[in-house]
This record gives sequence, C-alpha cells and structure tokens, in this order.
Amino acid sequence: MKAFITQALTAAILTFTASLACADEIPDNTFRVGLYSVFFHTSVSPLAGPFIPPGEDLTATVKNVETPYLAYLRKLSTHFTFELALGVPPLTKAYGKGPATLAGTVPFNGQELLTSRWFAPTALIEYVFLDESYALRPYVGVGVNYSMFYNRNITPAGEAIIGGPTRVELSRSVGPAVTGGISYRLPKHWSVMASYSWARVTSHLNAITTDVDRTSSISFGPTTFIVAAGYSF
Amino acid sequence: MFRLRGQWIAASAVAVLAACGSDSTTSTVATSTAHGTLVEDPPLRIASLNAVSLSAQLSANATGAQLLQLTGAPACGVDFYYLRFWTLGGAGETTESSGALMVPTGAAPACSGPRPVVLYGHGTWTDKSGNMADIANTSTPSPTNNEDVIVAAMFAAQGYIVVAPNFAGYDISTLGYHPYLDAAQQSGEMIDALTAARTALPNTFASATSDSGKLFITGYSAGAHAAMATQRALEAGGQTVTAAAPMSGPYALEAYGDFVMYGGVFIGSTAFVPLITTSYQHAYGNIYSATTDVYSTTYATGIDTLLPSTTPIDTLFADGKLPETAFFDSTTPVVTVPGNATLSAELTAALAVPSNPANPDTPIFAAGFGNPYLINNSYRVSYVLDAAANPDGALPTPAAGVPLAAVAPTQTLRLGLYKNDMRNGDWAPSSPTLLCGGDQDPTVFFAVNTGVMAAFWSGLPAPLITVLDVNATPAGPFAPVQTAFQQAVAAQLAFYMSPAGGGLSLAQAEELLLPSYHGSVEPFCALGARLFFSQF
Repeated sequence: MKAFITQALTAAILTFTASLACADEIPDNTFRVGLYSVFFHTSVSPLAGPFIPPGEDLTATVKNVETPYLAYLRKLSTHFTFELALGVPPLTKAYGKGPATLAGTVPFNGQELLTSRWFAPTALIEYVFLDESYALRPYVGVGVNYSMFYNRNITPAGEAIIGGPTRVELSRSVGPAVTGGISYRLPKHWSVMASYSWARVTSHLNAITTDVDRTSSISFGPTTFIVAAGYSF
Repeated sequence: MFRLRGQWIAASAVAVLAACGSDSTTSTVATSTAHGTLVEDPPLRIASLNAVSLSAQLSANATGAQLLQLTGAPACGVDFYYLRFWTLGGAGETTESSGALMVPTGAAPACSGPRPVVLYGHGTWTDKSGNMADIANTSTPSPTNNEDVIVAAMFAAQGYIVVAPNFAGYDISTLGYHPYLDAAQQSGEMIDALTAARTALPNTFASATSDSGKLFITGYSAGAHAAMATQRALEAGGQTVTAAAPMSGPYALEAYGDFVMYGGVFIGSTAFVPLITTSYQHAYGNIYSATTDVYSTTYATGIDTLLPSTTPIDTLFADGKLPETAFFDSTTPVVTVPGNATLSAELTAALAVPSNPANPDTPIFAAGFGNPYLINNSYRVSYVLDAAANPDGALPTPAAGVPLAAVAPTQTLRLGLYKNDMRNGDWAPSSPTLLCGGDQDPTVFFAVNTGVMAAFWSGLPAPLITVLDVNATPAGPFAPVQTAFQQAVAAQLAFYMSPAGGGLSLAQAEELLLPSYHGSVEPFCALGARLFFSQF
C-alpha cells in the first residue's frame, strides 16, 4: 500500500511537471533578481588585546539582513549550470554581547558597535535534476564564496567602548558554499526559483584605536534563503 | 556576444557595489617628533567611570575604602586617557613617552567646563610596566604603587584635570633607562606631557571640560623632585604656576647624598641608587668607566640596565641581582687624607657601621651594611673625601642658609647630585608652595630634604612656603590631615599589637610598619595638597 502511494505520488508529480514543461529549449543565459534573506549563525572569539579587562568575555552578534539578490546563470549542459550569485551588499550591524558595561561604566551589551557592507559573490556549479522538458526542476550546487567587507564603520557607542576613533579591519574570506533549490519555468523565458544556501565565511577582526590593536575571529556561518524571478535569453 | 555582455554586466555591478562609502579611521598620528608633540590625537580612552562606579570600585577593598574616607566621595566621574607624547631623554635623545590624562566628567558644575589642571610626577617605580592611565590594572603589587588610584580619587574625582606622565624608561618607552632625579629631563618631560595633554583635551569624549588656566604642580618622592624642578622651569620661562605641592621629595640631593654616604642608609637605597647612577651616567657620562668602579663585583654586571625592570623587585633580590638591604660593606674602610691624620681618623670613624644608641634611626642605618654589599668601599671613600673637602652647608652641622657646597664637587656622583640639587642656581619659588612630608620617613629623610629646603627659603615672604609635617602635633589649617595620618598609624599599630595582628610589642609593630612609612604618607600629603590648592 505504502509503495503504491509513493509510486502514485511520483507519477502525479511527474505528470504535473511534464504538463507544465515548455517545448522550447532553455536559452543559455539567465538573469535572476530577487530577495536574499541572510541568517547569521555567528561565532565570535572574545576580543583580545591591550587594556581589555581580564576575564571579560566580549563578543558580538550580527543582525540578520535582507537584500536584493542578483545572479547570472550560464547553462553548461542539460544538467549543469554555472551561477554567479550576488547580493546588493547589505549594511550589516554587529551588537555587543557580554557584560552590561565595559571600561568602567560604558554600556556594552546590546549596543550597536560596528556596521559594515559585505560584498559576497558566490560562484556555484549546479546540478539540475530532470531534463529541460520539466518546468519544475530541483537543483543542488557547490561552489566558492568570496566575502569582503567595506564601509567598515565603528559607531559612536563602539568608539565609546573601545576608547576612541577606530579603524576596523576585517580580513577577506574564501570558503565553500553549498546550495539547494528549485526553479519553476514559466512561459516566455521567465522563471521563478527558491533556494537555501550555506557558506563558510570567517574573518579576522582588527580594531585599531590609536595604534592599540584589539583582535577577534569571527565565523559568520550565514545561511541564505532566496526567492527570485529569472529571465533567460 | 551574450557571454561577453553578461560578464561585463556582472563586473560592472561588482565595481559599483564595492565603490560606495569609506571606512572609519583611527586617531591622527603626528608626523613631528618634536618634544611636547601629542603622538595620537585623540588619545585612547582606557576607562570611563562615573562617580558612583568609582566610589564602588574604591570601596571594594580595604585600601580603597580607607582612601575614599580620606578623599571624600567622588564628586565627578573620571575618564582615563592614555597619553603618548614625544620628549627628550637624559642625554637629549628624542624618545616617546606616555602617561595619563584624567578628565573629570559629570553634570555637576565642579566636573565640567573650565577646570584646573594638576600636573603630577610619580614616585620611584622599579616596575617598568607602570602606567598611570591603566586604572583597571589591579596587579599585585601595583606597578604604580597605587599612585594612579590616589591621584584619580584625590584630584580627578574632585574636578581637577590630572596630567601624569609615566616618564621615559617606563611603559612603552624604549629609552632603555629612566632619567631618574635628572631635573632638566624630568621637568622637560613634565612640561611635554602638559603640552600634549592640552593639545588632546579639546578632542576627548569630555570635550566640554576645558583647561581653566590654573596650573597646580605636585608629585611624590622622586616625582616631588620632578615637580619642584618643573615649577622652577615654568617660573623661569615666565609661565603661570598657580601653586605647587611637592610631597616627600629628595630635593637637597647633595646634602641627602652626603648623609647617605656618611652612613645614613635609607630604606630602598639598593634599588634607588642604581637608578641614580644609571641616569647620571647617561646624562653626564662620567659616573664610572665601568660599573665595578661603583659596585661590588657581586652585583656590578648588568646593573646599569637592571632597573626599571619587568621582573618584580623581590625576584631581583631573590635572584641575587641586588642586595635587599646591604648597601655598604660592613667592613669599615680606612680613610687616608694625606697629611691629616685627625681627619683621616674622623672619616674612618664616620664610615663605620652606625652604632649610636642615642639615635633612633641607628637600626635603619645599620641595616644598610652587610656582605655581600652593593657599593665598593673605595667609591664610598672617594665620595666622602670630596664631601669633607667641600662640604654641603647642611652637613654635618647646618650652616646659615644651608647652602650647597662652595664649589662644584669633583667626585662625579656628588657633582651629579649637586647639579640636580634644588638649591642649585639659588632659585626660589615665586608661586605658593606647600612642602609636605613625614618627619619619620626612613626612605626620603625629611630633615635633610624638606627641612633643608625650608631653611634655604626661610627668608622668603611668609605665605610663599608652607611646610606640612604629617607627624607633627596637629595645628593650623592642615590639622585634620595630621590627625588623620596619626590616627591611621595608631590604628595600624593597634592592629599589629592585637591578637589578630600577631600580638606584637609596640617596638615590633613600629619596626614592621617602617618599610611602608614612606608610601603611607602619600594619601595624606595629597589631601594636604588638595586643601592647599583649593585656596587658589
């Protein structure tokens, strides 16, 4: 009985998707525009360096962001696609996590310390299931994420905590990325898609106040949920 | 064609997205290394405590709680800035130094707006890591001997802007030695720190607090010598000094040196004297050809770079780098003055281990003799022969006006002390000056320093020089300070004489307290200084 239900369901899906399939061959190039929802799973090592009170566990959290998603896809074969995924670099904000106050009576926990824009293109090779006659095609992909941080600005609250005007350096990150999603092909070259992705993004932070350098290591662990529309040509 | 167009669009997007905005920057770094230049503007704020937090932190331990009783509850919060500035070393070397700028904060009128400045010189530190700005450093023993806490609570928390250099040779300084008791260098560095602090002040977080133009100068022990030299330099330059209050300082260095070389060994001499010889060797280049000229072979190797040190002084003692107390050889040298057998015999007798039972200081002096010892007898004799031939006016019996030696000494250490003696040049303060100390001080002897300067300036108009001996019978405007000090000593003695404190006899308890006497005077003299400054 269970096997019968499974077979029936599979047949129904295949019938449904086949019914929606476009007879035309998919063009080689696709642009996608959509929404990138980034969920950070941040791990931050305690800030270390001169004049950090011993025993203070000073870390940070990063607020989740949403940003427009842009991507260019190049069909390599029936089942393989190259994707260059971009997001409009979001303004990412880090908040203090630790003691209520620091360096005496300067508020720390929950304070917005740092903002930065994050440019993080990801190149992926995706395997697309089913053949092109199917409108609904799941896919999985692996690739490389490159992340660089710019417009790194310490907030007034951050300056008050760390002791003055501060230059923030965040090292660039290169790490693996994986994705899984599904696209649905619409008539007249259009499509819609949704995906869920993960990338390893790690960075070494240097907060340099005068020439006093305080450091931390950050693992952002971002996962992203994307919904987008695509146009193929 | 499509492929090319797609790549071009992607690349353009990257360029546009990456180009917008700019990163924040840190402080401006000075390109000039001229002395008095602030290295980084604004300076780093290490800590910011409001009045309540400062009070709570002081109350957290017994020493702080006692200090709080003396200073009174903080009226202001205090921001602690790490000042870095360029200065000159003892031989004129361009070098970077550091210190503290403590700025009062808070809404009370006494905590913002135009505020007076206290320029403070710290006492002798053997710990190279001392930093007056690092108020959060609770290491034991304190690298700053708690001077950072004392001046913060006594002055900054009561509305004074405090400028306190760490001095070349300490903290970040790469000078390699400390220009200890070098009046020209120390006054120059105090003024450089003040100049840098005045540059920094408008750019701090507490920019509403400004310099009122009133300048008070103070310092403790060696820092009192620096403070007095600074007062002299500023007054000579025609700059305003509102008032000064050097505390427990070695001012009459020639007299003090003579007193010590005749056998009046002070507590701490085995650490302090190497600091002097190293300092003067760098400044004048003539103290010795080799360290063995001055020091016994047991300790001579490396003594010229030993202090200040990142190694605790007790470890240096334990490791045999310095003797803890044996300053002189317990074997009395035989002094020979050609053609003068009487003087030879007198000097030989004078250099014997002190044994006069009528002098209550004899045990302190005698403790400075032993074997292995620090100072060679031959060097001691050369010094004493110079002192005998060209005596200081304060010793052995004070002459009228207690003048310096009639001519410059020929013995090079004595010459260095002569040059840095605050009587040199016949300078006298033109701004009100309080000389505070304790007449039982076994480290910086009161009579031969504060007493000599008071006598030297005894002809000045009456209100100009005020002497405060915290050990004297309480009287006058500083009676509360004297009473507080004497009550604190009495309480400590009572503790050590109680079963909980070991049930010591009075003599044993007094002996136990003696090594800490010099340091224990500071909070009380600082209170005296604040009371004195509040008049102006």
